[in-house]
Amino acid sequence: MSETDSIATTEPIVNPAKKRKKKPVGFYIAGFWLGLIVLLGLFGWILPLPNWDEAFFDDLGVGPFSPRHFLGTTQDGYDMLAGLINGARLSAFVSFFSVLIGGGIGSFIGITAAYFRGKYDTVVVTIFNVMLSIPNLVLSLALLSVLAYSDADNPSSTSRRVVVLVISLIIVIIPILGRISRGSALQWSSREFVLASKSMGTKNFTIIWKHILPNVAPAILAIGFLAIGSVIIVEGSLSILGIGVPGGASWGSMLANGRGNIAFSPHEVYMPALCIAFTVIASNWFGDYVRSSLDQREAKI
Amino acid sequence: MSSLLKVDDLSVQFATPRGNLRAVRNVSFELANGESLGVVGESGSGKTVLSRAIMGLLPGTATRTGTITYEGQNITDLSTEEVRDLWGTGMAMIFQDPMTALNPVRRIGTQVTESLTVRLGMSKKDARVKAVELLKRVRIPDPEAMLRKFPYQLSGGMRQRIMIAIAVSCNPHLLFADEPTTALDVTVQAQVLELLTELRQEFNMAMILVTHDLGVVAGHTDKIAVMYAGNVVEYAPTRQLFANMKMPYTEALLKSIPRLETPTGTRLPVIEGRLPDPTKDLVGCAFANRCVYATDKCRNETPPFVDGGNNHFYRCWFPIGGDK
Repeated sequence: MSETDSIATTEPIVNPAKKRKKKPVGFYIAGFWLGLIVLLGLFGWILPLPNWDEAFFDDLGVGPFSPRHFLGTTQDGYDMLAGLINGARLSAFVSFFSVLIGGGIGSFIGITAAYFRGKYDTVVVTIFNVMLSIPNLVLSLALLSVLAYSDADNPSSTSRRVVVLVISLIIVIIPILGRISRGSALQWSSREFVLASKSMGTKNFTIIWKHILPNVAPAILAIGFLAIGSVIIVEGSLSILGIGVPGGASWGSMLANGRGNIAFSPHEVYMPALCIAFTVIASNWFGDYVRSSLDQREAKI
Repeated sequence: MSSLLKVDDLSVQFATPRGNLRAVRNVSFELANGESLGVVGESGSGKTVLSRAIMGLLPGTATRTGTITYEGQNITDLSTEEVRDLWGTGMAMIFQDPMTALNPVRRIGTQVTESLTVRLGMSKKDARVKAVELLKRVRIPDPEAMLRKFPYQLSGGMRQRIMIAIAVSCNPHLLFADEPTTALDVTVQAQVLELLTELRQEFNMAMILVTHDLGVVAGHTDKIAVMYAGNVVEYAPTRQLFANMKMPYTEALLKSIPRLETPTGTRLPVIEGRLPDPTKDLVGCAFANRCVYATDKCRNETPPFVDGGNNHFYRCWFPIGGDK
């Protein structure tokens, strides 16, 4: 084929919107791990595994890959794999809901503050700054020790503790995402297309929903994924301090129970620790990916 | 022709750290149905603020005094909700920079249909049909495909046509065009202005065309108001203004447009100096320290807004060609 032929048959210019940047490998690994955690958290109870809260007195402190207990047992005879899967449920539930609710409330307050400005904005910023000045571990600690007393009728129930934990984490998340979304919305609210939409008689909340939120959303998502990671860490820290969810029901709690036995059965510590680490890294990678795709989109404009 | 808009003694001040900035000073004019007014002036003369003040789109730091009567109704003291009812269906605005006036992350279709569904309560399907019609009207080729595109895929001229389509979508009676062609190429400029004039006649819209270019307003307006330092310094029907210019500032503006007839190498006349400080009160004529004809009287006594006959008003002690 001659040179001119190849020019004549050149492919038409591809619509740049349809051409996506190749995603990094880390994105797939992170996505796979997060997907696995969510799936196991939701449907892990279907798997034919021993009960996570049942002690097997014949297998105390068995190492990994034993025939009856795939990842071994603790010194008290609890199955590790079942414990980790149950922990995934609680960790995923706690982190997902606290970030979703806290992020939702925080973003709403942040965006409206940036859009309406004035006294409302000043009050919101002051409250956010006060909330951010309290170390989040101390705040959760205080809330849990005051509010998470055990139910007199059902002393072994942990649901109250979980609810208080989620609430305390929500309080921690609100100012973090609130500030991020306020900062981002501040920049978008002053754009001319907001004024243009306003000049067509669009109502304020319609403008916020249709014009500002789509622009702020990538920033919120990026920080939201980072927040999931830090929420899991806070939950683990609280357990080690002895006020998290008791009885090895979460990864942090398993870690706290097992730390005394680290010399005899190290897998009791490193397995939940690795789960926490992988999940935190995966959510950070995911957040980074969302952020970089945001940068790329900015460059196109 | 009945009066559509009457602006009486409109002033706008901004509270700034340096003191009160007077952007618009005691402006009055009247606009009939279907009529078009050109507001001309250099950057910082208050022309954009004037149009936004009439619409009520000023930021919170601004205070507005004077009265604005729209279709016989005083709209100065209306609540935000009541004014919002006028926006889009009564008054609409086209913005200077079509690059920033469209939301970058939403498709053209959703942006054009937005005011149709929100303001006119059309169903999504009807709004889409109407949007295609509107895009055809502003001469966009292949409007169906255009609805699916994002703003960054369009050229400046195309985006400005989209903005015009959005602005006229709810059939406003009064269209503000705030430097609609400044960001565009000269050839596209002419097309966009042509289009605006056509649409104005078709929908019987009144238009306020804000620009710094006397050439732009010449063929597309009925009346011209020349602004300087927040004041209207000359106000006349377009023909009358160009035939019989009274204000030295208008003359200087016109002279500073490059001409083809002048020999190569000729220096372009410019207006020396800068606008007076908008935070200070004016003493004498605002243009005095830049005016080639200025005398001591100009610097010390504020000239009145004189009626020169034939609906020609000017603010000058020594108008070009003498009085009347």
